[in-house]
Amino acid sequence: MIATPDLIESLAANMKPVRRLRPPVTRAACWLLLAAMVVALLAVSQGIRPDLAQRLHDPAFTVGMAGAALTGVLAAIAAFLVSLPDRSRLWLVLPAPAVAIWLSNIGYQCLTQWISMGPNGVSLGEATRCLATLVLTGLPLSLAMLVMLRYAAPLRPTAVTFMGSLSVAAITATALSLFHAGDATLMIIMFNIGTAAMFVGLGSLFGRRMFEWFAPRPDIRG
Amino acid sequence: MTEPNGRPPQLRLVDAAPAVPEPTIRDTDWAILMAHAQDGDRSAYQRLLREITPYLRSLAARRHRDPSDVEDAVQDILLTVHAIRHTFDPTRPFGPWLVTIANRRFIDRLRRARAQADRETPLMPEHETFSEPQANLEERPDKYELEKAIDELPPMQRKAVRLLKLNEMSLKEASTASGMSIASLKVNVHRAVKSLRKILGDRSEP
Repeated sequence: MIATPDLIESLAANMKPVRRLRPPVTRAACWLLLAAMVVALLAVSQGIRPDLAQRLHDPAFTVGMAGAALTGVLAAIAAFLVSLPDRSRLWLVLPAPAVAIWLSNIGYQCLTQWISMGPNGVSLGEATRCLATLVLTGLPLSLAMLVMLRYAAPLRPTAVTFMGSLSVAAITATALSLFHAGDATLMIIMFNIGTAAMFVGLGSLFGRRMFEWFAPRPDIRG
Repeated sequence: MTEPNGRPPQLRLVDAAPAVPEPTIRDTDWAILMAHAQDGDRSAYQRLLREITPYLRSLAARRHRDPSDVEDAVQDILLTVHAIRHTFDPTRPFGPWLVTIANRRFIDRLRRARAQADRETPLMPEHETFSEPQANLEERPDKYELEKAIDELPPMQRKAVRLLKLNEMSLKEASTASGMSIASLKVNVHRAVKSLRKILGDRSEP
């Protein structure tokens, strides 16, 4: 073991000037801009669902989508805030109201759709396209967030991963409900929950390890 | 033993931890030093690290009893501070930033120590007893077979495999013990293992 004064010497001797991080809200905004770009690109390539305008008149649909989008935005902001050592952990509850709106709306739709369609009403035709949307939205956003929040690895990896996953899940869910239409609403709803559960689950399983790959190494040699 | 007012001392359910100096007074100093350090001022950085070390040590002393654990924890925190020094915002107080990093490192270290304690068992005399040859009678025939096979090897190979494999010497030790060069030891032990594999029949590949 190296003696502490020697460690300080070598850390100071090999120090390079660093650029301070921008304010967390700005960085969250950058990430959200990326998310908006990804969704927009997907909209160009896959095409918006044909009955979007008509669906937007349905308050349940609009509220649900707004809830999902809001969850994405708030969870991203919370993730960027909580990743800093000197911010309160109470920021973690920031997306809670939006999550409540989103999930209660899903639950409500689930119930009404189930009653109107019955258990045989689920079609699987769009499953592959849905999956493509899911991967194309979720993967780049997750990676970008992982890289942007890498310095949180020695601090609060679990909380930050959870918030980040929630944000990615909510944005993916918004994208899904923008692009995939039709009778498969119930499936979309289930996809919503499934995606959220998947991202949050994967995040908590592997987030810590992934963070360690990207984590800034305390390099003594500078 | 009584206190000045004549009453017996009250029992307190707290650790006799050393009082931790509050960082508030030096907070602005440290924040300024860190801001300079972020801009590349080495002497400011060195002064900052030197000044926070006793404070970190007093924080660590509340969590660890073993002085070397305390020192390890302090170094861990210093390294973390170094790695994420760009996350400090000079417009905000330095103390909470430092204390959060310190606490997260303490929690991580304690968690890791517990995981290690769950996974590992201390080496007891009985573990050594059971690994001794006398306690493992059924392995003996193998051993005789191996000894016989080694005796059949050419002398250089025999010496190399005895020193490096049976006596578990390092290449350097074996080289001083036998007078053979490290390269020739490597070659001979490689050949020896190859021919032993042939003599004993390769059991690793069915």
